[in-house]
Amino acid sequence: MKLRDITIRAGRSLKHAKARTLLTSLAIGVGAFTIVLSLAVGAGGRQYAANIISSNTNEKALYNISPKQDGVDSSKPKKYTNAQIANYGGYEMVLLRQSDLDKMAKVDGVKSVMPYFTVSPKYVTREGQEKYQASIEPFQSEVKLEYAAGNANDIDKDSIIIPDDYREALGFKNASDAIGKKVQIIIEKGGSNPLDPEIKAFEYNIVGVNKKPAVAINGGTTLQMTSGNMKIINDYNLQGTPTYGTYLSASVMAKDDVDVDTVKTNLDKAGYESKTAEDLMGFIFQFINVLQAILIGFGALAVLTSVFGIINTQYISVLERTQQIGLMKALGMRRRDVGRLFKLEAAWVGFLGGSIGSILAVAGGTIANPIISKALKIGDVSLIVFEPLSVAVVVVGLVVVSVVSGILPARKAAKLNPIEALRTE
Amino acid sequence: MIEVKNVTKTYGKKNNAFVALDNVSFTIPDGASVAILGKSGSGKSTLMHAISGLDKPEKGEIIIDGKNILALNQKAIDKFRSRTISFIFQSFFVQANESCYDNVSLPLEISGTAVNRRKKRIEDALTAVELLDKKKSRARDLSGGQKQRLAVARAIVGNPRILFADEPTGNLDSATGQVVEDLLFGYNKDNDVTLIVVTHDPDLAKRCDIQIHIKDGKIESIEGNE
Ligand SMILES: Nc1ncnc2c1ncn2[C@@H]1O[C@H](COP(=O)(O)OP(=O)(O)OP(=O)(O)O)[C@@H](O)[C@H]1O
Ligand SMILES: [Mg+2]
Repeated sequence: MKLRDITIRAGRSLKHAKARTLLTSLAIGVGAFTIVLSLAVGAGGRQYAANIISSNTNEKALYNISPKQDGVDSSKPKKYTNAQIANYGGYEMVLLRQSDLDKMAKVDGVKSVMPYFTVSPKYVTREGQEKYQASIEPFQSEVKLEYAAGNANDIDKDSIIIPDDYREALGFKNASDAIGKKVQIIIEKGGSNPLDPEIKAFEYNIVGVNKKPAVAINGGTTLQMTSGNMKIINDYNLQGTPTYGTYLSASVMAKDDVDVDTVKTNLDKAGYESKTAEDLMGFIFQFINVLQAILIGFGALAVLTSVFGIINTQYISVLERTQQIGLMKALGMRRRDVGRLFKLEAAWVGFLGGSIGSILAVAGGTIANPIISKALKIGDVSLIVFEPLSVAVVVVGLVVVSVVSGILPARKAAKLNPIEALRTE
Repeated sequence: MIEVKNVTKTYGKKNNAFVALDNVSFTIPDGASVAILGKSGSGKSTLMHAISGLDKPEKGEIIIDGKNILALNQKAIDKFRSRTISFIFQSFFVQANESCYDNVSLPLEISGTAVNRRKKRIEDALTAVELLDKKKSRARDLSGGQKQRLAVARAIVGNPRILFADEPTGNLDSATGQVVEDLLFGYNKDNDVTLIVVTHDPDLAKRCDIQIHIKDGKIESIEGNE
């Protein structure tokens, strides 16, 4: 018997049991729906993360550089070292000194070293306005900011970039109104009496107002100025304190013709840990992958349940059609072909369920996408991205699973003795 | 020519053993019509199943066209059944959900007949049993007589050389039974096809060239009309 004829007959017997076929395939459909949606969420999440990373990192850069602490077990008492240690919410960091930065600059393959540190001024204000708390970061040209007005092209020692929220708080009607105006950063002098601290006002021109971006981690909430400016106010802020002349971490740019991983190894040999953009990405991707795996797990559970549904339905179908099977075998239908007929019926059920589930998932995801993006305020970004190939793989996979589920009932059908089968009235 | 030689079929084992066919031998010439007669439980269906390769007696030979079908492998037996023989059953066994056309199409699909050659043969078979106008009707909507005529169409569509009929008129009233009988004997005469009918009906048996009487699994007598 030709495969084409078997396929058509299989489809026809399913058509004759519409309700049963539909219900059985809906069980698979639930699994298909969950899996297709999980894959789409994973793909969307990865795309979103890749966007964030590419707009916040440079592939030639190494980040979070800190001195290596070999064999440190955080659960045991630590030996005293001479290193400067800062404690951030229980997480201890060994700080970098200028000497470390100089040492890094000499490491093979390093183009430039940039210390990373934040300054928390006493407050930020401008004439006739309220005082606000703030945090200042060094401006990094590789981090793409979106500007509501102005830009960072002419950033110099007198310049500052403020987020749009501060623009509003500081009483500017709109972003372009703020450009060229002055803001004051009030810094406490290091080592002065905390009850009556000595303070100093530093004044800067606003050159840019940045929007809260769709895909950036920083830049949305901190004020930014050149690294040199920050060093001046930071030194003023920390003079006479133990952390004077230290930095939280640093980033390094690799030379254009040197691989970042080579530089990473070289830094490691010099005694510094660092992370490439890829290392940072890996962490986010791992998180997304775990999340996706959990969702797919639920889908797989639904598929597993539907496997028993298929086996059960197919067994009942074999029993109901004993006579038909007997007749077909009496007319010379091969055992193999009888088995194929029932396996193909299972395949149709899997195809139907897979298609229904996938179509619903794509439709639901497409409708939900703008709603989710709006709710999360991430702008015009899709968090659910359907890849036609993965949808196709899911449908094909479910067809295979269904065929496998159909094997036992199909074998029962193939083994039926035609004489016995034809005796049943 | 069909030669049945010393065929013995036993059901069950040892103490429960029951001999359904006991050393049965006879010969049927090509194109003959044969009636197998006997009381209920005498072994008529068992004999028919053996000759058609559905059942395997443990002893004896059944030689059709010089080949012992009891010695064939499953693949060859399936091929023999789909190419050489055909069945009509007392309870029709038409597929209720399918159209008449698809019912008749089944043997052609099983034997792997090319798609483009099927339509004419199916329509010819339906015409022969006067059901062409019901081509698209579902088999469940047919009357009993029509169902058996459909079964005849399904049996003859593949041009078999031997036609088996187990009580073909058993479930029909005499008038409808007569129509089916006429179809079978007409086909037998016109196409020189061997017809083997299992029946209780003495009138039907009389129309056959040969009558084989069975009693308790043994041949009681063989009569010829020639
Ligand atoms: N699978 C089986 N196992 C045991 N005994 C069987 C089996 N099949 C048939 N028999 C027995 O073999 C004998 C012959 O059965 P068979 O079906 O050939 O009778 P029959 O002549 O066709 O009767 P009927 O006219 O009622 O159809 C019966 O006594 C029956 O009980
Ligand atoms: Mg019988």
